[in-house]
This record gives sequence, C-alpha cells and structure tokens, in this order.
Amino acid sequence: MTRSIIRPAKPGLVLPRRRLLQGAAAFGAATLGAPFVNRLQAQEAHPLAGQSIQMSILGIAGWLPSSLGVQMSPLFADYAKEQYGYDVSFTFAEAPFADLFQKAATSLATRSQEYNIIISDSQWLGALAQPGWIVQLNDIIAQNPELDIEWYSDIVVDTYMRYPDGSDQLWGLPQEGDTIALFLRQDMLDDPAEQEAFQAAHGMPLPRTFEDYENLTMAEFEKVAAHFNRPDQNLYGTAMQYSRVYDFVSCYLYPFMWSQGGDIWNPETGEVVGILNSDINARAMEQMRDWLRYQPPGATNFGIAEIIDVFTQGRVFSSFQWAAVGLSMITPELEGKVLVAPPPKHGEGEAARRVYTMGGQPWVLNAYNDDAHMRVAIDFLKWWYKPETALEFARRGGNPADAATLNDPGFDAINPWNRAYKYMLTEGRSRDFWHHPKYAEMLAVQQEGFSAFMTGQSDDAMGVLDYIACAQQQILADVGDAPEVPSMCYGTSL
Amino acid sequence: MSWRRSLYHTLLWAVALLWFAPVAWIILSAFKTREDILATPPKLIFTPTLQNFVDLFNRNTSFTTQFLNSIVLSVTSVVIAVAVSFLAAYAFSRFKPRGTNFLMFLLLSVRMLPGPAVILPIFLMYAAFGWKDSHVALVLFYAMFSIPFSVWILKGFLDGVSIRYDETGRVNGGSWAHVIFRVVLPQVKPGLIAAFIFNLIFVWNEFLFNFVIGGVRTQNIPYALAVGTYSDGGLNWTFIAALTTIYLVPPVLAIYAFQKYLLVGMTFGTVRGEV
Amino acid sequence: MAALADTAALPPPRRRADSHRGLVFVLLAPVLAFFVVFNTIPLLWLLGLSFHSFSLTSGQPPEFVGFRNYVQLWMGRNNFWGDLQRTFTFVGVGVTIQTLLGVGLGLLFWGSRTMPGRRLALTLLFAPMVLTPVATGTFFRFIYDPNFGALNQILLGLGLPMVDFLGNPRTAFWAVLAVDCWMWTPFMILMTLAALGSVPRAELEAAEIDRLPFRKRFTLVILHHGKFILMLGILLRTIDSFKTLDLIIPMTKGGPGQQTRLVAVELNKQAFESFNMGFSSAYAVYLLLVSIAMTSIFIFVLNLRRRRG
Repeated sequence: MTRSIIRPAKPGLVLPRRRLLQGAAAFGAATLGAPFVNRLQAQEAHPLAGQSIQMSILGIAGWLPSSLGVQMSPLFADYAKEQYGYDVSFTFAEAPFADLFQKAATSLATRSQEYNIIISDSQWLGALAQPGWIVQLNDIIAQNPELDIEWYSDIVVDTYMRYPDGSDQLWGLPQEGDTIALFLRQDMLDDPAEQEAFQAAHGMPLPRTFEDYENLTMAEFEKVAAHFNRPDQNLYGTAMQYSRVYDFVSCYLYPFMWSQGGDIWNPETGEVVGILNSDINARAMEQMRDWLRYQPPGATNFGIAEIIDVFTQGRVFSSFQWAAVGLSMITPELEGKVLVAPPPKHGEGEAARRVYTMGGQPWVLNAYNDDAHMRVAIDFLKWWYKPETALEFARRGGNPADAATLNDPGFDAINPWNRAYKYMLTEGRSRDFWHHPKYAEMLAVQQEGFSAFMTGQSDDAMGVLDYIACAQQQILADVGDAPEVPSMCYGTSL
Repeated sequence: MSWRRSLYHTLLWAVALLWFAPVAWIILSAFKTREDILATPPKLIFTPTLQNFVDLFNRNTSFTTQFLNSIVLSVTSVVIAVAVSFLAAYAFSRFKPRGTNFLMFLLLSVRMLPGPAVILPIFLMYAAFGWKDSHVALVLFYAMFSIPFSVWILKGFLDGVSIRYDETGRVNGGSWAHVIFRVVLPQVKPGLIAAFIFNLIFVWNEFLFNFVIGGVRTQNIPYALAVGTYSDGGLNWTFIAALTTIYLVPPVLAIYAFQKYLLVGMTFGTVRGEV
Repeated sequence: MAALADTAALPPPRRRADSHRGLVFVLLAPVLAFFVVFNTIPLLWLLGLSFHSFSLTSGQPPEFVGFRNYVQLWMGRNNFWGDLQRTFTFVGVGVTIQTLLGVGLGLLFWGSRTMPGRRLALTLLFAPMVLTPVATGTFFRFIYDPNFGALNQILLGLGLPMVDFLGNPRTAFWAVLAVDCWMWTPFMILMTLAALGSVPRAELEAAEIDRLPFRKRFTLVILHHGKFILMLGILLRTIDSFKTLDLIIPMTKGGPGQQTRLVAVELNKQAFESFNMGFSSAYAVYLLLVSIAMTSIFIFVLNLRRRRG
C-alpha cells in the first residue's frame, strides 16, 4: 500500500515536500518497526501508526453530496485505525456555493492549513491551481495506483481533474459526479385521465417512461409542461434555475445554447467576442425566458434550494435539477412517485441534440498541508475510491464517477436518478465550462447579464450577449490570455 | 379625556407592534415545523414545537463553538476598546494635544467606510502575517473598529465633566491614576455603558469581517446564519428561525435594560439624553 | 423626555499639553498603536495596491500600472457610475422616507411619557435596529417569497395580484429599500424624540398660549431648536446607508441583473469573489474619498451646533 512512497531518505536540511514525506516514512518504518499487523494482509507499517491526526475538510453548505462525504468520514477513521493504525478525526467547515471559493481562497492565500481537504467546484480548478494553492496530483496518482482509476467517461477527467483544458496536468479527483436531470411526477403521468386528456389535445401519447423522455425534444416537452401548468390550482409545469446567485442561471441556460450548436468561447485563443454573442445563443436566451410561463411565480430567483422547495411541496409537475440532490427532491412522501429522466433534446428530428451542463465537485488537496496531513489526505482519497466506499456513497445517495461502480449491473437500481445520471455522464451529452483562474469574474459578469435578460430588464438578448462577451474578453485580455477586444466593444453596456 | 388617552396609547402600541411584526414572525417560525413554515396561507395557529432548538444543539456540531465565539469576540474586543478609548478620550478632552481634531476626524472616517473597503487591506495584511483565523487577531481588529465610537462617546462625556474635579484631586495630592480612575471615571459611567453596549451589539451582529479574516476556529453566529441558509433539503428555514430567535434575545434585552443609553450609543455621543 | 442637546457647550479651559507630554503620550499610546497597525498601515497598503494590477488567483506578483485602475473605473468599467448612482438613490430615497416617517412617528410618540408599558413598546419599536442584518435579510427573503412568503399571502387575501418582490427588476430595489426603512425608521424616531426633548418647555407653552397652528409651532419652535439633532440623525443615516451590504447579500446578492448592486456589494464581489485586489483597492480609495467628504460635512454640522451653543 505504501510501497511507492517509502524510500530511503537523503540527507539535507532543506528538502522538498515529497522528500520530507519519504524521510518521515522511512523514519517511521525504521523506528516503529511493525507494531500493527493487519489480519487480512501483511503490509509495511504506516509512518503515522500510533499517532492522532485531526483533519479539516471544507465542504459546500447545503449540498447533499458534500455532506455525505462528511457523514461518511467516520468510516474512514475506522478504516485508518484498522488498516494503518493511526487515529484520525475530522472537523468540517462549510460555506454555500456562492461563498465557498471566497472561504477557500481567503484561507489558502494565507498559506494556511485551515482546510486540509477541500471540496472545490470544478470551475475553480484554475483559480486554485494557478497560485499554487492546491497540489498537482499527477505524481501522487503515479505513485498510488489505487488513485489511477478508470473513470466512466472522459468528461469526468475534463471536468474535475484537468487544468489547463487540453493539458495533462491533473489537480482534482471527483468527489461526486453530477449532471442535470429531469425530475417528473410519475403519479401524475400515470393518471389515466391525464393521459386521455393529453392524447386528445395533442394527438400524441403522454410521455411516461425513461425511454419516452430519452427521445423527447423540448418542443414536445413544452406540451407536457403546458398540460400540467395550472396556476389556478397552484400547480406549474416545470422549474429551472434563473437565479443571479453564483452560476445558477448560466448552468441552465448553457444547455439551450450548446444543444443548438452555440458555444461560449475559444479556449485556445481566449476569444469570446464573436463566439458567445451569436444568433444561436441569443435565440437560446429567448427560449429559456419563454419557459418562464410554465413556472411558478418567483422562478427568476430560483436556485437549487428553491426548486427543491417547490418540487417537494407539490407546486410543480417537473423540475430540471442536479441529479446530486435527488435524495432531497424525492422525499419520503414522494417516494415511488418520481420519474427521473434525461432532460429533453433541443432541435427537431434527427438533428436534435442534448448537451447539458456538468455539475459535481472534485476533491482538491491544500498545497500547504504538512506531511502528516498530506499523507492522511492521500489515504483518505484512496479509501474514497475503494469499490466498497463508492458503493456505500451511492447507497447513501451520492453519485460516484468511476467506471467500475457505474457499470455494475446493480447500480441503476440503487437510486431513482442513477440511470439518468449515468446517461447524462456519457460523452457528448454534458460538458463543463471554463476552468480559467478568472472564472469568478467572468461568471459574475454573465450572471448579471443573463439575470437582467431573464427578469426583463433588458429585452435585447444580442445586446446583453455583446456586453458579456466584451467584458469577459476584456477580463481575459487584462491577464494576457486573450486578444484585445474589438472596437465594437466600446459602446456595449448592460 | 381618559378614553382619548387610552385610544392614543392603543395607537402607539399598535405602531410598536406593527413594527415588531416581522420579528415576531421569525420568532413564531422558530416554533413551527418546516411544513408549518412553508404552509400557505401562513399559519398563525399551530402546535408549537421545540424540535428546532433541540436540532440546533444536536445537529449543528459547531453551534456551541459559534455561540461561544460570538460572546468571547464581542465582549473581549469591546472591553479592550472601551478601556483604551477612555484613556485616549481623557487625553483629548483634558490636554487637547495638537492634532486632536484631526485625529478625531480620522477615527470617525474609519467608521464611515463601507466594510469591504476596510477589510480589504486588513485581509492582505493578515494573509501576509498569517494572522487569519486567530482569536487574538480578530479581537484586536474588532477592538480597533470599536475604538472610534468609544472615543467619540467618551470624549463627549468627559467634556461635560468639570475640570475642577481633576484639579481638586491633584491639589489634594492624588496621583494621575487616582484622578483618572477614581475621580473622573465614575462620573462618565453612562458613557462607558453606552460605548460598551453599542459596540457590543455591533460586534455581536458583525458578519463580513468574521467571514473574511475569521475561520474555522473563530466563526460566530452571523457566519453560521449566512452559511446555514441552505440545508440538504432546500432552504433551511427552521434553522434560520431558531438561531435568529436565540441570537436576538441578548440585543433586545440590552436595549430594554439600557434604553436610556440608546440615544448616546446610536449617535456615538454626539446627541445625549434619554427618550 | 428630558433629552438635552450636547452639554459640551463650554469646553474645559485649554491646558498646555506640553506640560504633561509624558502623561498624554501614555494615555494616547494604546489607541495610536491600534490606529497605526490597523488603520494607517492598511490604508497605505491599500493606496499602494491601487496602483498595481494584482489578482490573488493569478499566482503573479503585483504589477505596477500607474493610474490604470482609477482610469478604468472612471471610464465606467464594471458600471462603476451605475453602482454609485444606485447607491445615492438608495441613500437619498431611503433616508428621506426614514426621516419623514421617523419625524411623523416621533411626534406621535411625543406625549407617550405616561403610556403603560412604554419601555417595552419602545423596545419592540427599536428592535429592528439591533437585529443581525444577515438574519434580517435572509428572513425577509422568505417574507417576500412569492410561493411561501407571508406578504404575498396578505396581498392575495386583499385580492391583489402576487408580486415577485425580489425577482422582478422593477420591484427588487424598492423591496430591499423597504427593509432598510423598516430597520432604520426607528432610529429617526429616536432622533426626533431627542430633538423634541431639546425644545425648551417655556417656548412650547408660549406657542400654546399664542394658539399657533401646529404647522407654525412645528417650523418656528420645534424645528428651530431640534434641527441640529435631526440633521445629525440624517447625516448618520446617510453615512450608514451608504455602507449597506449585510442586508443585500442574503436577499439578492446584487441582482436581479445589477438592480440592487450598491457600491459595497460590488466592492465585496470584486475583492472577495473575483480577488482583483488592485482594481478593488482603487474602488475602495474612491469610496474612501466619498466617506471623507461625508464625515467632513458631519463634523461641520457638529461644529456649527457647538458654535451656536
């Protein structure tokens, strides 16, 4: 288990971190001998055997997969005691999505070990990696074959691990995979009266199964949403996220753009102008805004939590929502009454496609961890990706991302959303957006712009896109990662 | 006449209650289940539950730490601030050293600056020196932030205490320490209390600075309120309501008990009197 | 209601600070130390940084760019003027409403000396001022919620249409402002009561005997004596409301669009979400200038009052 790390130490006063780690390991092995012999497999003594370590994890407040990681950590403590012979206890800090990066960055900027392991959002990889705040994992993965895992698809690597895009540098490992899914009230779909009424009105059967939705287009789904949209009964057709907070509206607008062939930037040149402000994207914005008519009042402020509230309180027939919060969406009262399906395709007939936004978060390791904490963090990750752990994570409602667990024939049956999640995690159906260090700034600009359009402050989709594209390219150009903005930009405003 | 008086008093009470209604709504919600909170139309009559408070202690493992931090941070920093401010205010009031007006002005302008502008350079400094998430560093910063108000309040009060007291004390052979702490200090007790209470309420409710330069060890309750808004099952209304209810008790008790200092406290001593 | 105006009409005779130089130094040293460490040094740091391009997440050291950040802001990058304009609207409208309401209710409470339970009633009235702003903001988001909030249920009960207060760009700004007014009108009530307390009883009685109409009594007697205290109240509110942040963050985060993006909100975002430290420093320096201007006005009014006795 620890073979690859334990090598003889070389003398010297100033040692790089890994050297120190090796030194400590060799020292531990030499002095402690083998006080602990595992019953199942003989192995070398762990350098930390007999010690007590306190680990601190920074996670996302109000985010189920993150709190599952927290809840499962005592299992690791047992495992570490058994396997490695050290005591580990965990403390947790949390911040909501919108503030977590702030929390992490303000701490890491002080070279603090306040958080040993961080559940980061995928787009922050660049901002965390660029200043050297988190550990590059290539060597650690090379030394620990347990971490060299076959992932379910390349999207997993592109989203949670790789920075810069297209390079071979790895900085994170998936804590949890996540995609957008469509949550539907199966009990309403199964009502024969509804089926008849729908058939009579639209001349097509009411789509009721996973397969039906797999082949459904947005135009067709609109009929379904409209059918169940009954404001007088306090029931609405669907819910999407339009909130200005964090990345909420962006994540639910991108599918409209990408699925119809739009794009958001050129990662090679850094150009945004001319790519984001396209006719396709402008139309996509109008389409998403049109969907507000099938949604409850206040939908322009909907984020993850608000959608959970309206769905679980029976105010909506369906919701576009992250698969990660399936457990919260399907409360005990709703058990057996919810179908989780792939979200519809955009476009018509053969050309119809779906490209939705990736969710999910990687684990990243604080680069200022001392050797002991780094060591425990790596042990923790190795434990996290053990098949038993991954399965336990899934059983508790989490979404692992490794091929072995997802391809297990029993996986689909564990949770109602697993099938849809797996379907959407397949290459070409989901993608992530920028991992650039300027992520937060670029995001803030477009959240304001998109939100302004969705709430009707601006009716000119193209104008809003022009403004966002120019501002984003300016942000990139300021750090030398994009050409100067074209002259058309000097008149754009929100 | 008497019925008109009663009517008048009823009207005043109605205004006070109307103003308090949103707060009352929070307090009521703290005793509701999640279903009752989200019920439409809103429920005024419901079966009260203490479960939310029990959950606060049981589920939120950091609650005790956060509550203790709130108390420790606010009390310590304000005690320090009031102590050093009293000394400085005495010097300003009695000796009028050169630059008094300018210093008083500078002190005040710190308090006039929006929070992020204040904390931005402090954060960079703390980052450079590794002071983040340290009780001492946070207490010192809060103390600094409480000093301007305290100096202003206390200088106003000291200006109102006749200098004859000092002179008599000195003439009778009292040391400066005797004069300052035994003779003058008791006379400005209202100022000390006002400075103490109102800085305390400020630090008690402070969120941004704690969020930026605090950390795991130093988090307070406003921080908990800000990060605990979301639970795994949506917006965490029961948590917010219960925590807010507990947290608002001390300041509300304070303005009940120290109502006569309210005016002084909220205007940092520039307006005095009672209401 | 024995409120009295500032009693420091007669400052103590000026003493030579020089003769007690040692003592003065000892007395001032702690505050000066605090001031230098936590104020002067950081402010110089801020000033220095404002001439640099420095992003905490770039991993690059600060790069000197002269006045670029200032110029960019002045040219309206990130809609700086929009933020300022919104903030001044927020301050102007908010403080006006709070003053009018506060003076009105203050006059109403003027004769409440003998009211039973007065202390409790005033505590309830003043409670919004001491609530944790983060909690207030969060809970008002709930009260405003179109699906579950109490306010819309009341509107619905009155047969009025549902309003998405915080989601609708036409209402969001005013909805936030309303909460600010709810929180701070009590402060203006407090100041009004203090102002009324400073009016000499004899003059009021004289006005009563002269049967002056209320409007005249108000302008000639009450305002004449109470205007300084009211002025201080208005200034304090102006300065405080310019800093509004805690309330907005949980309610709207500056949205929808940029509708509730006040200067403090935007600066917080630039500094602690985007970590653009150089740019934010320049932004902060601009705000510092505004603060200094407002503090100067405040002190000017204060001195005016002193001089008038």
